[in-house]
Amino acid sequence: MTERLSNREGIKGMVNPTRYGLERVAYWMQRLSGLGLLAYLIGHIYETSTILNGKGAWNNMLSLTQTPGGHIVLVLVIGMCVFHTGNGIRLMISEGGKGVGKPGQPEYPYRASSLNSKQRLCIWVSIALAALAMMYGAGVLLGD
Amino acid sequence: MVPAYYLVIKMRESIIMKIHYGTALGAVALVAVHILMRLSQKYSDSLQYQNVLANYHFLPYALMLEVILVLLSVHGFNGLRVILLELKQGIVYERVINYGSIVAMIVLVAYGSRTILMAGMGIS
Repeated sequence: MTERLSNREGIKGMVNPTRYGLERVAYWMQRLSGLGLLAYLIGHIYETSTILNGKGAWNNMLSLTQTPGGHIVLVLVIGMCVFHTGNGIRLMISEGGKGVGKPGQPEYPYRASSLNSKQRLCIWVSIALAALAMMYGAGVLLGD
Repeated sequence: MVPAYYLVIKMRESIIMKIHYGTALGAVALVAVHILMRLSQKYSDSLQYQNVLANYHFLPYALMLEVILVLLSVHGFNGLRVILLELKQGIVYERVINYGSIVAMIVLVAYGSRTILMAGMGIS
């Protein structure tokens, strides 16, 4: 019983990326980027609602958001959005049974066929696309 | 006779995940159009009061914004629901999270729709 309870790590266990490699990093990055994007969506809906209060209120809001700090937040949002999309498409395809390999006998060192090079490549491509999109976004936003 | 809300609350997780993926794909396509509209002119110019208001007055674009709002609210709050259900389980907890995410979705869609509708009709 004590041993069973000691294995319950809760949130700490969920976010620990060291034990399961890149797949676990992708797992919590997908969740963190999702939470970040939801927070941005709520903020964006509030931000755009100020247009109903007239030109003065809209320009006041722009003076808060269209700043170097606001643009850095937008660049991060672009990165989160692209990674979340790329990794999300990988997850959808995997859930459809594509690219996860065939089940086999459990033989030492017990490597799961689903955690294969195709999956890892997709994760790296998602990260690379996010980095490229962030660079492009930074060019547009900060160079404006 | 089973009430309609019962079907929504008791929806199978496999159906909910199909909705989650469907809303994701729809949102990706429409958000791309939304971003391209911002980049069709100089970014800072596209945020000028008159330009933004003109977007809301253009009915097809306003309808697209409404669809994006619904898709992202459903996807976002269902994602949050999934994360919260992964962290903890229990009958009362799960019920609170399920109902709470539906209420949050409705509130966000209502608030965003108010902006789209009022700005589109010129009520400000």
